[in-house]
Parts: sequence; C-alpha cells; structure tokens
Amino acid sequence: MQTVLNLLEVEPIRLLISFGAVLFLVLNLAAVLTMAERKVSGYIQLRYGPNRVGPRGLLQPAADVFKLFTKENVSPGRSDLWVFLGAPIAMFIPAALVWLVVPFAPEAVVADLNVAILFFVAITSIGALGVVMAGYGSRSAFSLLGALRGAAQMISYEVPLILSLLGVVMLTGSLSLVDVVQAQGDTIWTWYFLPQLPMFITFYIAGLAEVKRVPFDLPEGESEIVGGYMIEYSGMTWALIQAAEFASMAVISAVTVTLFVGGWQPPLPFLDLGPFNWVWFGLKTALIMFTFQWIRWSVPRLRMDQLMDLGWKILVPVTLIWLFVTAGAMLVF
Amino acid sequence: MTVAFVFLAGMTLVSALGVVLSRSVVHSALFMSGSFLGISGYFVMLNAPALAAFQVLIYVGAVTVVILFGIMFTQKPQVRRYRTIINRQFWAGLLVAVGIGAFLAYVLSAEDWGGTEAGNGPREVGAFGRDLLGVSQGAEIFTLLYEVASVLLLVAVVAAIVVSRRKIGGGVDRGVRE
Repeated sequence: MQTVLNLLEVEPIRLLISFGAVLFLVLNLAAVLTMAERKVSGYIQLRYGPNRVGPRGLLQPAADVFKLFTKENVSPGRSDLWVFLGAPIAMFIPAALVWLVVPFAPEAVVADLNVAILFFVAITSIGALGVVMAGYGSRSAFSLLGALRGAAQMISYEVPLILSLLGVVMLTGSLSLVDVVQAQGDTIWTWYFLPQLPMFITFYIAGLAEVKRVPFDLPEGESEIVGGYMIEYSGMTWALIQAAEFASMAVISAVTVTLFVGGWQPPLPFLDLGPFNWVWFGLKTALIMFTFQWIRWSVPRLRMDQLMDLGWKILVPVTLIWLFVTAGAMLVF
Repeated sequence: MTVAFVFLAGMTLVSALGVVLSRSVVHSALFMSGSFLGISGYFVMLNAPALAAFQVLIYVGAVTVVILFGIMFTQKPQVRRYRTIINRQFWAGLLVAVGIGAFLAYVLSAEDWGGTEAGNGPREVGAFGRDLLGVSQGAEIFTLLYEVASVLLLVAVVAAIVVSRRKIGGGVDRGVRE
C-alpha cells in the first residue's frame, strides 16, 4: 500500500494515474447520472422508474451502455460527415477537460493551475462550438434551429456566469480553485454562498442555462423542434452527446460546490474526516446535481424572449450591482 | 518539448491552410478554431497560461462561434468550386502575402534573440494585471493601451445598442405594411 502511495509522488506517474481516474469518473458519471435521472423522475412522478435489470433496477446503466454499443450508427445521406462525426467529440472533450482543475481533496487535483477559474471559463466556452457543429453537420432544419438557439443561449449566459465568479475572485484574491476552497474555512457560515448569495444564485441559474437543462432546454425543445441539434444522431454518437451533457452538468455542480459551498471542507470543524474529506465534496456535488434534476421535473420551459430577458436584464445587472457591493464592503471592512 | 512544438506547429499550419483552401465557408471557420487552439498551445509552452486561456476564451469560444452564427443566419452554407476561391485577385493577394512574409522574415532575423528564452511570459496573473493597470513599476504604455481598448469596447457596446434599439412607439417591425 505504501509503495503505491509513494508512486503517486513521482511526477509523470501521478499525472497519468490521476488523468486515468478522471477519465474513468467522467465516463461512468454519464451512465450513473442517466440512471439517477430516471429514478428521480420516477419518484417525483409517483412511479418506480426502471426496476427490471438487477436489484431495484440498479444494473440499468450497464444494459443501456450495452444496447448503445450494439446499435448501428446512422448518419443522414446529405450530412457533412466529418463535421457531423466531429461534433460529439467537440462537445465531450471540453466537458471532460474541466475536471482536470477541480480539486476533490486538498492534494487530489490533477493540475493545480494558478489560473484554474480562467481555465474553467475558457474551456466551457468551447462547448458552443460543438453544438453549432452538430447543427450544421446534420443538414437538417430542426438541427440548425436547435444549434442556433443553443449557441445564442450559451453565448448570452456566459456573461452572467463569468461576472458571478468575480465576487469570489475578489474575496479570495486568487484564481486558483484550491486557494478558493482553502479561503472558505471549515465552518458552514464562512462559505462564500452566504456573503455572495446573489452571485451564488446567478451562477446556479447561468450554469443551468450553460448546460442546457430544463427550464433552459430550448435547444432540445422536444415539443417544437423534436430534439434540436441531436435529432439526427444515433447509437454511440448520440451516447457521446448525452455523456457530454451529463459530464458538463456534473462539472458545473462540482465548480459551484468548489466556489461557493466550500469544496472538500466539512460543514462543522468536528466533522473533519481527514484524508476522507473528498466524501464531503462528493456529497455536496451530488446534492447540487439532485437539485438540477428536481428543477427539471418541476418547472416549465422558458420562451426564447423570456430567456434573453432573464439573462441580460436581470442576471447581468444583479451581478454588476453585487460586484460594487462586494468592492465597497472590502474597502470599508 | 520539441515534439510538442512540432505537433502544435503542424496543427496551426494545417488548420491555417484548411481555412484558405476549404471549399465551404463553415469548414473554413471550423479550421480557424483549430488554428487558434494551436496558438493557445504556444502560449502554454511560453509559460503564459493566462494568455492561453484568454486566447481560447476569446478566439475559439467567442469569435469563431459568432462567425459561424453569422454565416448560418445570413447565407445558405454551400460548397463552392475552386475557381471561385482562386479568383482574379490571385496576383494581388500573392503580392501582399509575399510582402508580409518578407517583412516578417526581415524583422525576425534583424532582432537579436540571443537573450530571450521560453518562459518570459507573465506567469503570475497578479503581476500581469498590475502591469495593465499601471500600479507596478513597469512601463506605463500598457495602461494607455488598456484604456484605449476599454474605450473601444464601450463604443462598440453603445453602438450595438443604438443599432439594435427598437424605435419608441414603433412596435415590432414585422416587415408588413399596414
């Protein structure tokens, strides 16, 4: 055991092992979250959800993955094949890359960049490119409409997303996610979600819109454009798009936890688990992801003009005002 | 390091060629994002991760997406023939390209690069920001440039609002005469 732990100190081996662990995590998250999504929706709608494969339906993800691997990969005849096939990859890679800077526990971060927040923002912004590629590559009117909606939405909500990060950056004085978590301390009332409550809510809403979940799922909009930019995908390409969506949802939850809810820090000092503090990080992330799913089955979809109004006329002014409030408070105290 | 450089250089150059030579405008825009990504890789190699992140955020995440957006709104993306790409401006374009190439080659060879090595970039974001705001002891020209850029962006924002503003009492213009 000790020799294995010592191996983690050697640089290229540490990077390879942690990279493999993150990849394992991201690929499995998609399967587990699909399962969770269906179970949660089942319980919210007073039914069981999947309960046939394995005990209480727990092996459903394995059956899903097996089915998706054996399905044929159909592409439309007039599609732009390279763009069509490249789009799921262009969506998945950014969602997986952000995990490299998320700190799971004090030492457990693949790359402790000093510009980690900037890295997160930059990599998230590439996601829109994949959506546009999918919409254009399928050569279908529904796909194109979905992609245009998706790109407009993702570009618009990037602005409040970035602005709502700035309060935390000002309080910490650092762009490193590890520093942000350490600055929040190990008591629940010193975490940033209390002094930065408007920013926390804005980040949550903008994050929800950034990963295109209900009530911001206009790019999919199954009642009007039957699935949007992913309408022409099937088999593993479709699975990769789904995996990318779930991975980005998980990453937004993890970053929310890291920035506002104290990361791996325990809520009270006596609950400190020492080397097992990553449990706190996992629990908090799971809680945020559960609220995402809760919202999905409780709130109707917004209209396009309501979406833009919410983004530009409410969220952006709120973040700007709270930025001034934070700056003033830091000047006075 | 050399392997990484060769990979990045190949990626940037092949993508740049793709921008010029591909027959569809959308493909050109997508190749451009590849080229920008390669350039952000150079910034990482030069020990300037902040600049790399800005490069990805602004050029890949914003500029390319807005260009694609514009292409899809304004025209039907279609494949052209090579004769329309290599059009009658061929010789003028060649002249400009060779001129710029010669100029760059002259400047690069005239400068003494002996005392410069990789890793000169502003690694510390804090120092970078202080340089831009003129708080540090560095050259003050950066402050001026920063202010000029801010004024330019402000003008652009105001102009965008003026252009897209709905006329008071005009209602929504649906393109139909009443």
